[in-house]
Amino acid sequence: MSDRPVAGDVVMTEPASARLERAPVLEVRGISKRFGAVRALHDVSFALYPGEVAGLIGDNGAGKSTLVNIIAGSLQPDSGQIFVDGVERHFESAAQARAAGIETVFQYLSLVPTLDMAENVFLNREIFAFGQLGRWLRWMDKAEMRRQTSEGFSRLGLTLPSPRTKVAALSGGQRQAVAIARAVIWGGHIVVLDEPAAALGVKQTEIVLSFIERLRAHGVACIFISHNMEHVMRVADRIILMRLGEKIFDAPAATTTAPDLVALMTGAISARTV
Amino acid sequence: MVQHAPSLGRAAGHTSAQRLRGIVGWAQRNGLFFALLIIVVFFATRSDRFLTLTNLHVVLLQVAVVGIIAVPGAMLLTAGYVDLAIGSIAVLGSVVFGELMNAGWSAAPASLIALLVGLGWGLATGYVVAYLGFSPVVVTLGGLAGARGVAEILSQGFTKYGFGSGFAQLGNGEFLGIDTPVWIFLLVFLLGSYAWYQTPLGRHITAIGAERAAAHSLGVATRRIPFLLYGASGLAAALGGLIVTSQLDAASLSIGINLELSVLSAILLGGVSFTGGRGSLFGVLIGVLFIGALDNGLVQMNVGPYYQRAAVGLALVLAAALDVLYQHLDRIPVEASETAESDARLAAGKGGAA
Ligand SMILES: Nc1ncnc2c1ncn2[C@@H]1O[C@H](COP(=O)(O)OP(=O)(O)OP(=O)(O)O)[C@@H](O)[C@H]1O
Ligand SMILES: [Mg+2]
Repeated sequence: MSDRPVAGDVVMTEPASARLERAPVLEVRGISKRFGAVRALHDVSFALYPGEVAGLIGDNGAGKSTLVNIIAGSLQPDSGQIFVDGVERHFESAAQARAAGIETVFQYLSLVPTLDMAENVFLNREIFAFGQLGRWLRWMDKAEMRRQTSEGFSRLGLTLPSPRTKVAALSGGQRQAVAIARAVIWGGHIVVLDEPAAALGVKQTEIVLSFIERLRAHGVACIFISHNMEHVMRVADRIILMRLGEKIFDAPAATTTAPDLVALMTGAISARTV
Repeated sequence: MVQHAPSLGRAAGHTSAQRLRGIVGWAQRNGLFFALLIIVVFFATRSDRFLTLTNLHVVLLQVAVVGIIAVPGAMLLTAGYVDLAIGSIAVLGSVVFGELMNAGWSAAPASLIALLVGLGWGLATGYVVAYLGFSPVVVTLGGLAGARGVAEILSQGFTKYGFGSGFAQLGNGEFLGIDTPVWIFLLVFLLGSYAWYQTPLGRHITAIGAERAAAHSLGVATRRIPFLLYGASGLAAALGGLIVTSQLDAASLSIGINLELSVLSAILLGGVSFTGGRGSLFGVLIGVLFIGALDNGLVQMNVGPYYQRAAVGLALVLAAALDVLYQHLDRIPVEASETAESDARLAAGKGGAA
């Protein structure tokens, strides 16, 4: 278990303009999904490149969560294809998507406050000592798990207290950071964040946003959903805008402005005029 | 840049919070142990016989059955479940054994069947609670009445007795000067500690009790673990019933009455949260010894049984107060600056004890 690939080895050196020559880590083509009479998604396609942060925005009910739930394997599309690292995948569960390197961090974090950080990072992925015998006895190597936790955090440039610290003692922003770091330590090279900063204060939000910015340097691609334009404009390289289940705008963040995006979102202007 | 450095205004608050955490964290780890020490010293000054080796044997023998059942019980409670039926499963195991002996079976197969009945009752409970989602309190309250009812039906109210000298060894035998039930308790406790501290089971149990949805999303066996723990609880209860049967040399219907009260008291005093999500098996050991010392000391002081009950009640209120304190403690924030120091310690290979 300890010899699995770890994140952080990939360092992006090319300028962002070189991204078109790179293969996308994730590509969705023609995804549609209906809930009875509701057309939640209609023919949505996009590609995500290594180290890219895509800001996924849109009004309530635009289909953002439905889209990321399909990517994360917790929902199945009616039609359309998903490619991860160029290979077509059909996820039947979140576990399958996770195995393919897609980690989803939800607003409710999958962290256990009464366990410490190392215990959380390695929850249900425990490392055993003494080789085969240890695995058979299920004898954990606790020191090794703590060491890998500290090492993973510091590799991602995250300054956190000792891995023995209970998660309950961490601030909201620190918890978000731990949840995201866990995803990356576990080899997630596509991290999906559905409104990660929705309930956080200014300083806590800063911890999360700056951490997302830093993930870029580790080649981790992010899909970042937020209703806060300021946050999106700050961290996203690219903006994907959804309206009534359709993708109506997809362009580098630098080519657009927050007021334009808001106008697009509400339907005040159409994509062609931007 | 991640900003952990506190603003100047909060720096002082952090320092004293940290100091408080240090002090109370120490008390959390050692508080019950010192409470145990205090009552031991107290009883020792009140009675000459309290602090003797003979009496220590008596205390251990008295708590062995409670301790055996408290090990899986503590795991269940930490996972957010409870088994109120243990006393009744104990008497059911005892009566099944007694009836089989009466029908001419020998002790070993009769004991085995009694243990299997306990295990089966526990697993059936675990199935409806963990897989079908029935309320643990309601189902095991049903078990509390039901298992004793079945025991009464089987025995028709008649106590079977006289099981021979071989079976008497289970409750009265000794090895290296230590009573057999105490050996069994030690063995169960060691096995439990191994599972709790050295295998992933302990942290999975804690995760199930604290954040069920999170545990489930990470693939922790949120149903299978409590299901099996109920089985272990039933098995331990039947074993406890057999030990008492051996001590009395009778499958008496009085076995196991109020047993759940003693077991839960020991577990809760040991710092396991009643709502689940926090607990330690080592704390439970001290809790078991505390209950034993309290009972025994009050007997030595010739205080009536009414006072004993009242004292346990008072201790439980204390445990509830500690529970609130522990929850508060867990939430005192820490600073990132603690990192460097602790990492240095980790690097030096001195992680410290859990
Ligand atoms: N499980 C479901 N059953 C029925 N309808 C659903 C379900 N999930 C989503 N929908 C519908 O699909 C549409 C898209 O919902 P979705 O949650 O993806 O929107 P969203 O963009 O995430 O909105 P918000 O910004 O409010 O989170 C909505 O009309 C919603 O009511
Ligand atoms: Mg949503």
